[in-house]
Amino acid sequence: MAGRVIVITSGKGGVGKTTTSANIGTALAKNGHSVVLVDTDIGLRNLDLLLGLENRIVYTLVDVVEERCKLKQALVKDKKNPNLCLLAAAQTRDKSSVSAEQLKKITEKLKKDYDYILIDCPAGIEQGFQTAIAGASEAIVVTTPEMSAVRDADRIIGLLEASDGIESYKLLLNRVRPNMIKSKDMMSVEDVENILSCQKIGVIPEDTGIITSTNRGEPIVNNEKSLAGKAYMNVARRINGEDVPFLDIDEPKDFVGKLKKFFSGLKKQGKE
Amino acid sequence: MEQFLNDNMYVIDLGELNTAPEIIFELSSVLDKEEVKNKRICLKLGNVDLNQAQLLSIKSLINGIDSTLSCVDTKSVETEKVALSLGIIVSNVSSENAVELAPTMPYKMAEELKDEVTNTEAEENEDIVEESDINGESLNDAIIEDNQKIAFEKTENSNILEENVEQKQEESQIEQELVEEPTKTINYSDIDNNVVQEATKEEIQDELDVIFGSTPSQTVFYDMQHPTEIYEEREELTDIIVPEQEYTKEDIELESFPTKYIKQTIRSGQVINYEGNIVIIGDCHPGCEVTAFGDITVWGILSGIAHAGAGGNQKAKVRALKMNAIQLRIANCYSRRPDSLNTVYIEKTNSFTPEEARIVNGEIVVFKMND
Repeated sequence: MAGRVIVITSGKGGVGKTTTSANIGTALAKNGHSVVLVDTDIGLRNLDLLLGLENRIVYTLVDVVEERCKLKQALVKDKKNPNLCLLAAAQTRDKSSVSAEQLKKITEKLKKDYDYILIDCPAGIEQGFQTAIAGASEAIVVTTPEMSAVRDADRIIGLLEASDGIESYKLLLNRVRPNMIKSKDMMSVEDVENILSCQKIGVIPEDTGIITSTNRGEPIVNNEKSLAGKAYMNVARRINGEDVPFLDIDEPKDFVGKLKKFFSGLKKQGKE
Repeated sequence: MEQFLNDNMYVIDLGELNTAPEIIFELSSVLDKEEVKNKRICLKLGNVDLNQAQLLSIKSLINGIDSTLSCVDTKSVETEKVALSLGIIVSNVSSENAVELAPTMPYKMAEELKDEVTNTEAEENEDIVEESDINGESLNDAIIEDNQKIAFEKTENSNILEENVEQKQEESQIEQELVEEPTKTINYSDIDNNVVQEATKEEIQDELDVIFGSTPSQTVFYDMQHPTEIYEEREELTDIIVPEQEYTKEDIELESFPTKYIKQTIRSGQVINYEGNIVIIGDCHPGCEVTAFGDITVWGILSGIAHAGAGGNQKAKVRALKMNAIQLRIANCYSRRPDSLNTVYIEKTNSFTPEEARIVNGEIVVFKMND
């Protein structure tokens, strides 16, 4: 078995790399794949918090690299999903404690036993980023429809193209607000795609549930009612090669809008 | 003729004099001095034989200046007998161990000194910990004992380390002022106290090195047993005073450990390792690691990882005002916070119930320390 190594990166901080990693990982595991999430944000780790595994970490990536424990000892199993494992970053060290070659060795080992290895990349384009992309062959570039995030994503795509290992990369647009796009206050999904000339793999709507899920340590894909959760679920299926249509995230918030949408839906059905 | 202080007594050396009149003459000249008044006096006599009448007259001479003749050092058997019959202690006073009486004595009376120090501390709201420093007691004990007596006061966490150093400097200034004033007696315990305080100053500098040192400090790892056990919460009234029992090797080891005293908030990513006990005045935030060979005592909320008894001491304990530790490790035992306790943050109130974690039958158990 040869697993796929996917790095989730963005350049800019705070666009949702870690949230995306946790949710795609959980979604893939829910679909029956074996998944390892690797947090490479050494010194500012958060992935364990999002998964609610903070209290289970004994050994970290740095301990594996420095051979204080075996790789299997450092993998923390998820509370709900036995298919999902986390390789946490050390909080008390810094990015220089793991080199690109060392991470590459670890991903090579993990590839043999797992379907997917998702690497959560730190923000920035320095050593941490170079380390994170070293072992990966695919990349997901997370961005939000803001000029600063798009600019940084462009820079990252340039670096990914220049790197040897990355064979393909896809765009994931996060925190999209359909209402703002309508009022022309936000770049549309198409605009971002055109600017970056990059194929998209998912569009995640802004969802207040993300904050709650982060605080509770429970990925939002476990909440089936959430639109963002559904969108992440679809991304996971697309990663796996399925052809899934993009979600209609244009969901009106007010009651009248909902009624209108309901009736227009009925009309369409009548015509057919 | 020499005069010096020994064991809180004023020693007058008259060993070179051979006749009673000479002794009385010399003595009367010494006793005129202000510094001899209100003292316990020890006379150092040589080979001279004094009869009861002579010794009585010397005694009454000393009593005349409100001092007492409490001790006599003599080589003569005759004098010794007489002294004993008058109820005066006979002992050997060596001048080697004594402190020479300098023109101005650099220390105040023990009571005065202590009063001054405690006064300044009371102003700074530092009385609990600093006092225990001065008394040279184990900090752990002092904190637990004072726990119930003194209402909590929120310790200000920011820049505390710097403040602390400043305070220490202030204190040393006060001491220097005290030193310059002339005094009459020496209390040995005071000298020791000053040494203790000096040591703590150095320790704080060491702390700074540990916390802010550029080299990442190494964390000690051990094979953890049962890494899935959750630490239990038991509400149980427990005596803090351990009932009398035979002291094991581990007990003695714990008590002989040095103690590091840290007064600041320990934040995420900070590591503190110490081969002894650690006392932290302040909170330990999630993501920090505190590793000690002995006990860990946190005067605040413990939310990070605490590893007590890292050298393998099973009797080591972790204490905190609020135990919210992500993981607790004692010796080679390991436990994690129950998932049900997944609180975003702990509200800071002044009504915490101190908690203590220790190993009971191979498991880490947290006890609430109620009254």
